[in-house]
Amino acid sequence: MSSNMKSHAIDISSLKRDPRALNMDDEEITLKVNDLRLRYGDKEALHGINMLIPKNRVTAFIGPSGCGKSTLLRCFNRMNDLVDGCQIDGEILLDDSNVYGRGVDVAELRRRVGMVFQKPNPFPKSIYENVAYGLRIQGLKKKRLIDDTVEWALRSAALWDEVKDRLHESALGMSGGQQQRLVIARTIAVKPEVLLLDEPASALDPISTLKIEELIHALKKDFTIVIVTHNMQQAARVSDYTAFMYMGDLIEFGVTDTLFTNPVQKQTEDYITGRYG
Amino acid sequence: MEYEKDGYSTHISQQFNEDLEQIRTELLTMGGMVERQVQDSIEALLNGDSDLAERSLRGDKQTNDMELMIDEHCTRIIARRQPAASDLRMIMAISRAVVDLERIGDEATRISRQAIELVKGGESPRGYQEIRHIGSLVRIMVRDVLTAFARSDINLAYQVAKQDKAVDQEYRSAMRSLATYMMEDPRSISSVLNVIWVLRSLERIGDHVCNLAEHLVYQVSGTDVRHQSLQEMRRTVNDESGDLDESDDT
Repeated sequence: MSSNMKSHAIDISSLKRDPRALNMDDEEITLKVNDLRLRYGDKEALHGINMLIPKNRVTAFIGPSGCGKSTLLRCFNRMNDLVDGCQIDGEILLDDSNVYGRGVDVAELRRRVGMVFQKPNPFPKSIYENVAYGLRIQGLKKKRLIDDTVEWALRSAALWDEVKDRLHESALGMSGGQQQRLVIARTIAVKPEVLLLDEPASALDPISTLKIEELIHALKKDFTIVIVTHNMQQAARVSDYTAFMYMGDLIEFGVTDTLFTNPVQKQTEDYITGRYG
Repeated sequence: MEYEKDGYSTHISQQFNEDLEQIRTELLTMGGMVERQVQDSIEALLNGDSDLAERSLRGDKQTNDMELMIDEHCTRIIARRQPAASDLRMIMAISRAVVDLERIGDEATRISRQAIELVKGGESPRGYQEIRHIGSLVRIMVRDVLTAFARSDINLAYQVAKQDKAVDQEYRSAMRSLATYMMEDPRSISSVLNVIWVLRSLERIGDHVCNLAEHLVYQVSGTDVRHQSLQEMRRTVNDESGDLDESDDT
């Protein structure tokens, strides 16, 4: 046998360091939720939630209908302000300043914390105007700058190649999946810090769903993403961290790999294995 | 058969492609480590090189770590991606393959221990010729089955499984001649027994390699060929690829 056989052993240390191994202690935190309580009239819908949303990660909220996950999501950009009889205690810190503090400009908050809903809701305008809308509202006038930003947003939303030749056609002529990606482009055009996605793929077919999921994965390098989903498998596929909520309580919150392979709480185990009933 | 990378790298999810790519790389890396262990242990024994035997023993720890790591990654992919069809078969095949690879590593460890014992005993017993011969057959099998995995080549996997029959035959014939030798010269019994343990380990490595070949056939064709005859495996491989030479009979 030749002597080179005896040379170096194979180094597996590089393989063992999994770059995707996550730990909340190493994360930069974008949103901090401190003892958040929310009541609709007499009924308390969130019973003192505490959690951290890490920057440039995808955090998913899962749980049965009515568990409060959408309600919690809407607190992040104060969408619940629009609901009559909604009362909120506790605080949500966005980069250390309370979004429920006095004198907060809610319009500016919603620019920093953008939101996409379940059903695609493009404006009845052209594709270009949909994306440019937020920029114009901000007072941007330079056409060149708007053009560039529209292109950047459409590229980031993985839509540019499909629509670049029909930017001035109506957005309503697009497919559902394209409309949803257009709405995401419109949201990111104003360069928010946080992207809230409320069931963004539940009205779409499986292929469009996978495209949205792939898009979410690509967008997290620029944005902090929080997604509410009924689809547990979707949470498993796209998220880095997962929160399981039940009846207005945060039952378990942790790294998605761990939560889906070895959850700590019995309730979480029952829900993700389909034993909840 | 050319290895088609595109077979698993065309998912809409880039991340899924990367996960599958990574786990395949890990399996092949582990295979390389085990192949090295087997080579070192046989060489250590034949050359009476106890340093090399020690090194092969240290390699076993790494192999065990790799088994745990790949298993964990398989679990994670199943939990997060819900793989289906060929992806699912690949994950299942890999998760079974690491068990066989780890066992091959264990057998190599046994051979290395025997090598150290034999060096201590200072004897040059009968049976080295058989070890050299079967050892070289088994080494080629290990190499070929890893190549087959790297290329998803089930024809090669079939050839490897076929080769295991030759190893079994050689093993039986070596056993007969060593038994005769022990009867002729009872003083040699203890040292010949050491050689028999080594031959037994080599034969077991051949069996595990054969299992690996079966896992690959399952991964590529979807047919589980475990506990089937070589002829049935041949039929499956032929149905899938149609490349086997007609004259290449079992």
